[in-house]
Amino acid sequence: MSGEEKKLTMIDLARVSKTFPPDVHALADVSLRIRRGEMIFLTGQSGAGKTTLLRMLCGIDCPDKGYIEIAGYDLSRISGGEMQKLRRRIGVAYQDFKLLPDKTVAQNIAYSMEVSYRSRPFIRSQTEKLLTELHLLDKQDALAGKLSRGEQQRVSIARAVANEPELILADEPTGNLDAETALLVTQLFRSYNEQGTTLLIATHDQAIYDFPGSKVIKIENGRLAIQKPPTLVKKAEGKE
Amino acid sequence: MNFLLAVFSQTWRSIAETWRTQLLSLITITLSVLIFTFFYLVYSNALQVGSRLDNDLRLIVYLDEQPDANLQQEYQHKIEKFDQVERIEFVGKLEAYDRFKGQLDDSQDVLKDIPKDFLPPSIEIYPRRNLESLSRIKGFSEYLETMPGVLKVQYGREWVERFYSFIQLLRVVVFLSGSLLILTTTFMIGHSIRLTVFSRKKELELLRLVGASNSYIRVPFFLEGALLGALGSTAGIAALYLLFRWIKTNFAGQAAQGMFSFSFFSTSSVCMIIVLSILLCAGGSFVSIRKILSV
Ligand SMILES: Nc1ncnc2c1ncn2[C@@H]1O[C@H](COP(=O)(O)OP(=O)(O)OP(=O)(O)O)[C@@H](O)[C@H]1O
Ligand SMILES: [Mg+2]
Repeated sequence: MSGEEKKLTMIDLARVSKTFPPDVHALADVSLRIRRGEMIFLTGQSGAGKTTLLRMLCGIDCPDKGYIEIAGYDLSRISGGEMQKLRRRIGVAYQDFKLLPDKTVAQNIAYSMEVSYRSRPFIRSQTEKLLTELHLLDKQDALAGKLSRGEQQRVSIARAVANEPELILADEPTGNLDAETALLVTQLFRSYNEQGTTLLIATHDQAIYDFPGSKVIKIENGRLAIQKPPTLVKKAEGKE
Repeated sequence: MNFLLAVFSQTWRSIAETWRTQLLSLITITLSVLIFTFFYLVYSNALQVGSRLDNDLRLIVYLDEQPDANLQQEYQHKIEKFDQVERIEFVGKLEAYDRFKGQLDDSQDVLKDIPKDFLPPSIEIYPRRNLESLSRIKGFSEYLETMPGVLKVQYGREWVERFYSFIQLLRVVVFLSGSLLILTTTFMIGHSIRLTVFSRKKELELLRLVGASNSYIRVPFFLEGALLGALGSTAGIAALYLLFRWIKTNFAGQAAQGMFSFSFFSTSSVCMIIVLSILLCAGGSFVSIRKILSV
């Protein structure tokens, strides 16, 4: 890969495999390159390995085999401090939300910005802006634990995007939302993508990626199966 | 700037959440500080008493010959080689006689038939009135006895030794209560950090996920420890001061005023104790955080 191309690449996976005991091949030989500024949908049946892939991209899990590079950092060689900095540049909306139930909505969202030492006014205005866009402004001071699942999901999305990350990883971001509310989330993601943010969205929800020009990757039993358009997935040889 | 703000607000939040569990630590630290400073106060007052002792503390070295100026200088030199002293006085035979006569007052006529030089000449040595010199007084007198021409060395042996062993005892007590202070403080700090980590487990996990730096996670614990130290030592000293006032108002009349004017720590000692406690607690929390969070 040339230096120029390396700069344009956000996510680079080469022959990544992950096996869980006893014998679950959650990911097998996955090679994939995602360029900066792209919005990619990751689909596949339940248990296909979508969450496993996303967890490895944000450094929660390590692959058994293969190589992962994010924004130029080789995750197997990254130092603790660099990993922390990298995580501040990645926004993650987890499938299980990972909200703190006894904190307010605003506090939950603030976490991703506070660790980057954002100023108070920035945090406040960003929180209000996102909550307005996600129709949650009236819940700002409610405890996250008291919200409905769909509301919690939107809070976790707001937290993921609040720090204006370069890369957004969203795991099933509309799983608990009705079609109308799901549209709010899609619009939010698209507006970030228009500003140049890279997004990787794992979803079953065909409605959110069913638009002309959408880029979709499908995983089946831990292997990349279908891609649209077909240029996304690297050749089987993987490394160049 | 933003880093400080973020860390302070983080600390504040953590304290607001966990202060109830920290109360026990605070009380323990306060008590330890109170116990330690109590003994330390007694000790430093005893030292004051020591320095107020006057002539009792002089060493008298009896010589067999009246030393001439040269010899006097040699003696002086030898004495100062052992220890710094406050004052050295040479008392000649005649001077000794005059003093003795002065002490006899009315019955001076008993001296009538005795030659005026019957008393031996002596050197009176006033050691510095601090504990270092006090503790060495025995060794000092032994050293003086080895000097040529010395008949005998005298000092308020029993009194000094008793006082010295009292001071020694106090030293041990101060040392023990100081060790106790260090042990309980570091233990309680470790304990309260463990509690905080436990009650903020989920939050700390989330902080890791969103990429909080080590210092962002550590510094609040560190500040909490320092705050515990500051509050605990201030409360401990305040309690000691109340106790001190109470003792003074209730027992002042009975104590021999001149000898035992019990006084409190100076402002600078108070500051010193507080600063040391803060350092101790902050250091303790630093070690615990590294151990518990392994970050
Ligand atoms: N920690 C684990 N231990 C054991 N097996 C695991 C673990 N995590 C995931 N798996 C298995 O790996 C496979 C892939 O799981 P993964 O969570 O990635 O699926 P998914 O595509 O996200 O599914 P869903 O759409 O239901 O969220 C599943 O068979 C799952 O049981
Ligand atoms: Mg999943």
